[in-house]
Amino acid sequence: MNRFERLSRTRTKRRPAGRSRPAVDPIVLQIVEGTLNSIEAEIEYAIERTARSPMIREAHDYRVGLFDRHCRKLTGRSYSAMPNAVVRDFPPATMRPGDVFLMNDTYLTEGSIGHLPDLCSTVPVFHRGDVVAYIQAFGHHDDIGGRVPGSMPGTARSVFEEGLAVPPVKLYSAGVRNDAVFSIVTRNTRVPEMLAADVDSEVQACLMGARRMAELFDRFGQAAVEACFQAIIEKCRDVFRHELLPKIADGEYAWEDYVEHDGVSAPRLHKLALKMIKRRDRIVLDFTGTDPQSPGPINWPADYADGAFLIKWIAPILRNLADTPERAAEIHVNEGVCEVFEVKFPPKGTLITPRWPAATNARSFVLLRALGLLAGVVAQAVEGRMPADQETIRYTGFFGLDSTGKPFLSREVLGGGSGGRYYADGNDAIHIVPDSRNQPAEFTETRFPLLVENLALRTDSGGAGRRRGGLGYDKHYRALVDCRTIVTADRVRLGCYGIAGGRAGAPFRVSIVGDSATRELDGLVDGAPVKAGEIVRVMTTGGGGWGDPLEREPALVLRDVTDGKVSAEAARTEYGVVLIQTDDGRAIDDGKTTALRAELRAHRGALPMIDRGPGYAAMMEQTKKVRWTG
Amino acid sequence: MARTPRPPRLRIGIDTGGTFTDIVAVDAASGAIRVTKVASTPANPAIGLKRGIDAILNAAGAAPDAVAGLAHGTTVATNALLQGEIRSLGLIVTAGFRHILEIARQTVPVGYGNSYFWVKPERIVPLGLVREIGGRLDFHGQELRPFDEESARAAARFFRRRGVAAIAVCLIHAYANPAHERRVAEIMREEYPDAALSLSCEVLPEYREYERAVTTLVDVFVKPHMGRYLARVHDELGSALRSKPFLVMQSNGGVASAEQVMRRPITTALSGPAAGALGSAVVAAVAGYPDVATLDAGGTSTDICLIEGGQPGLTNSGAVGPFPVRIPMIDIATIGTGGGSIAWIGREGGLKVGPRSAGAEPGPMCYPNGGDEPTITDANLVLGRIPPSLIGGGIALDAERARAGLKALAARLPGAMSPEQLAHGIIDIANWNQTNSIRQMTIQRGIDPRGFALLSFGGAGPAQSSAVMDLIGMQALIVPPNPGNLSAFGLLAVDWRTDHMVTKVMHEDAIDLTALATLYHGLEREAAATLRRDGIPTSRVRLVREADVRYAGQSMEVRVSAPGGPVDRKFLAGLIAAFHAAHLKTFGYNYSGAQKVELVNVCVSGFGLIERPRMPRLARHAGKPRARRRPVYFGGAFRDTPIYERATLPPGWKIAGAAVIEEFGSTTVVFPGQSLSVDPHGILIIRRQSKGRDS
Repeated sequence: MNRFERLSRTRTKRRPAGRSRPAVDPIVLQIVEGTLNSIEAEIEYAIERTARSPMIREAHDYRVGLFDRHCRKLTGRSYSAMPNAVVRDFPPATMRPGDVFLMNDTYLTEGSIGHLPDLCSTVPVFHRGDVVAYIQAFGHHDDIGGRVPGSMPGTARSVFEEGLAVPPVKLYSAGVRNDAVFSIVTRNTRVPEMLAADVDSEVQACLMGARRMAELFDRFGQAAVEACFQAIIEKCRDVFRHELLPKIADGEYAWEDYVEHDGVSAPRLHKLALKMIKRRDRIVLDFTGTDPQSPGPINWPADYADGAFLIKWIAPILRNLADTPERAAEIHVNEGVCEVFEVKFPPKGTLITPRWPAATNARSFVLLRALGLLAGVVAQAVEGRMPADQETIRYTGFFGLDSTGKPFLSREVLGGGSGGRYYADGNDAIHIVPDSRNQPAEFTETRFPLLVENLALRTDSGGAGRRRGGLGYDKHYRALVDCRTIVTADRVRLGCYGIAGGRAGAPFRVSIVGDSATRELDGLVDGAPVKAGEIVRVMTTGGGGWGDPLEREPALVLRDVTDGKVSAEAARTEYGVVLIQTDDGRAIDDGKTTALRAELRAHRGALPMIDRGPGYAAMMEQTKKVRWTG
Repeated sequence: MARTPRPPRLRIGIDTGGTFTDIVAVDAASGAIRVTKVASTPANPAIGLKRGIDAILNAAGAAPDAVAGLAHGTTVATNALLQGEIRSLGLIVTAGFRHILEIARQTVPVGYGNSYFWVKPERIVPLGLVREIGGRLDFHGQELRPFDEESARAAARFFRRRGVAAIAVCLIHAYANPAHERRVAEIMREEYPDAALSLSCEVLPEYREYERAVTTLVDVFVKPHMGRYLARVHDELGSALRSKPFLVMQSNGGVASAEQVMRRPITTALSGPAAGALGSAVVAAVAGYPDVATLDAGGTSTDICLIEGGQPGLTNSGAVGPFPVRIPMIDIATIGTGGGSIAWIGREGGLKVGPRSAGAEPGPMCYPNGGDEPTITDANLVLGRIPPSLIGGGIALDAERARAGLKALAARLPGAMSPEQLAHGIIDIANWNQTNSIRQMTIQRGIDPRGFALLSFGGAGPAQSSAVMDLIGMQALIVPPNPGNLSAFGLLAVDWRTDHMVTKVMHEDAIDLTALATLYHGLEREAAATLRRDGIPTSRVRLVREADVRYAGQSMEVRVSAPGGPVDRKFLAGLIAAFHAAHLKTFGYNYSGAQKVELVNVCVSGFGLIERPRMPRLARHAGKPRARRRPVYFGGAFRDTPIYERATLPPGWKIAGAAVIEEFGSTTVVFPGQSLSVDPHGILIIRRQSKGRDS
């Protein structure tokens, strides 16, 4: 353990001492809660208005957090970082109004920052001279140095290839900027002006938020406001304890899921193991059995602050247990969940407990998988009353020289289908980050030497089920010049899993269609050559299906076929629905459908609770071989 | 000089709302303003409209031939979109883009985790009614593949066979070259002449295929609704009024003739709140506050609009319900707090106010046959802040019932609150909601709200708005005369307006000035012709050039005004300078001198200038304003408070709070620590006396 790791092991006190506290005024509580949510939104709007990186402005990849003086997260609009590392290195008693802290080191931020482009600002809030709260914001900035533009080298073997790592430092001291920090940071990026402006935007927005928060304390007094904070946190805790947890029978449930490649070693399954131990009003998440850390960049340092970041990231998936989806949408998740969950980490050296300096820039693979992993474990505990799996983030793009010889780089985050739910089919072509937008074809073609020949849903990509998985994209880009294509995607071999008899969705595929031949590409591609006139065909993941496909209403299958979402072939083989051609399209052959469904039922085994798709068996073989040979 | 017959002098504004139709008449000769209200007739709003006109003519003792013109605000298009069942709508797209509506922008609404439990709403057109046709343009408008006549003909026949009544056409890059879409229209006319048809190149010739497709679909969807409604209006008006100019309010803050509106009915899709914003701008300017935030509090919700320098902000990224509608509209945010908002206890035991609402039916507890849960109106009544009877004093309100409802609610909450304490708290929560919404809206636009005044109208606003003003620390609260009729008044303060634009992406270094001049002149001709068709004399036509510009490579444009005169190098330099300045104002920075820009959209707005009504000065009358007194709850206790009839307040009159000002349809509360003055036009202006707290 090096010095930094030892340092970051020190814990910050997360729970306030003492039991007695003033009764909460229900009026003030409502005002404080509404205003906290508003302050969070106001900071986001301010950042959105003044930041410059396209990842912040267009892909909405930035997060804001409001915390009490015990570093407990108070708001639930989205996940966020944590101020714990700042408090660890700068005791609150030494902080002064106008101080601003900066950090991005994935290890020294206690895992609350997952990759280096996410520079994070922290501002303490003061009331009568004491620190009473913290405001935090980080954005995904375009570049923080390292081996490749964009600071996300898919083949990195250590943090030293990924860019500049900043431990918690004071960027402003009582309102005076530390120019040394600024000049070190801006000297280590390919886009110094943009990065400086982004950081400035985030700092100013946090300072504004801190003023707003201080006004709350001034108006209602510290005791009343903190009583509200406590009530807000307890409300979240109690919703989990009394509303969601009772849906899960006490017991132990175990499962595993996999990241499918790490960019540097032969393709194999990298296992994330989870045992969930549910006891009355408490859940223990035990990740023992998770695979060793990877030599590539798919590691996630999650084993800090009692796993508080991990809990706040994956626990919200339990909202799917609420009585209705409308109710689920009402439940905000704050630090209160950390009183319900406990995490047991495997010893140092695994995918989620990596040792510095293991690379982390593609940790989003593990992050997304961890969500689906918990969902899968819970699904088995509640007889499948959870959504099937989705994978809705990946990067695809092109670079080269346009027809006038000018360099171009296009990067797009394409979503996929979400999983079927017991109450609805999965959504087609969506992205997990709210408000993120794809590129209109009419924008792409204006900016880049590309022609969008097809912007469609990928037929048959949604996992079959009583409630079908949503469909992924089938997007065709014709290159108008010789150029190169880039891909960063997971779920390229296993499909997004299906639940309760539903089938897995189709895995991600990308291919280059030439005049004579089609070349298939892998999920991590750093620049495959594409000739002018060739088509790059990107097919993104479909969501998993939910429930027995043979129980899907034939009318819905007919509509899917009419809509081009399901082929007539799959209607027959997956859903047992026989269609006949009529004068005005298709119709269901009721007799043949009943017969075919009976026959299919008779010839299949018991339906599994979870289906991982046909790629699973092959990959398990491959994984054994790779492990064996080393 | 021979005396000519008296020219028609009355301009009448009719604003049709869900419950009431408000009517304002301005006498162009004397400047006198008259207002009234009739019940709306939702089954056929044209009937309420006609009754309203008759009522105001009666009141003015005038005959129909005294009417110079009618201006009408209607929510027919909005209601059709929000409530109407959308059936029988078809879409024609370029081959390869059949799933354009399903994919949309891949966006999940805000709220982390929603991608798991959010259910994508049904698309406006089911996939089975989307047809692809062959032919492809590039972004310059050059043909990459020729138009496929046969596929278009097949689509037309398909829709005819299916009886699909309204069809939108949205082909890739049609904004750059409308030829293919126009050819589809010709084929449709041959094959299926009965269908309503809208072309994207006419409705919204702007890049971004998804938004353009939805905007075009919304246009063609509302066409038959609007057509039916305007025909009914025509029938109801009768021969005497039928010949009068009849103008319809558009979302962009201008009016247009019924005939123009029928060409692009989508321009009225969000016109409801526009007239109120424009009326506010007139009142605020008269009151000496060019920068104001407006609060229009109705029964179920409150509309907020920002007016800077006397101009309401416009946006082109609005939406009607789930449908993005990218036409210019007055920028208005709506929050779910209004007079009928219910105070209730949420599932976790917390007190909530709104967005659930008792609306007009059943209405607040205190109403005759009112609901069973206390609302903001009940809270105001229990605190003595609003009069104990409905509009005009006709119907008594049941304060005891409201008080009992609050008492029952208080019993379920901790803290042993009295009904008055709870009522006060409910209003406090509503005020903070409004405060937070105003803050969010101003921050998004880089505005410090403390430099602004607040202008409150609508039935449910002014009883609370002076507390909101204090919470934000705004300059003043302005309450216009007849706050319940400001929208109808606004209808008469509006110019004709027609917006025309086209996308043409040109890099700063490669701008073809001749082509650009051709585009501007073409749009200017279109705008002028549109206004000419409405009978506007050339002398009253004003054409304004604008452009959407962005830094090269970015995807967010800023709309800036462009110089008039010849389109030359000087024009270009002026345009680019205006963009850098606008970018600095909007986003807080610019790249002037460091980064090249791209011209994206070329826009022209044509205005037909009207004679604005002047706000008449309040007549001085003798005698002091009469005050009754009643106990009103402020700061924890009832306090004997003067209650004034607004009509008796003379210009220049001043008073320190606490006080209550009552009038037909609205009540204004002046809190302790605030002062009220009546300006020469009868506008109420409330300011803080010292740095005080709220009630």
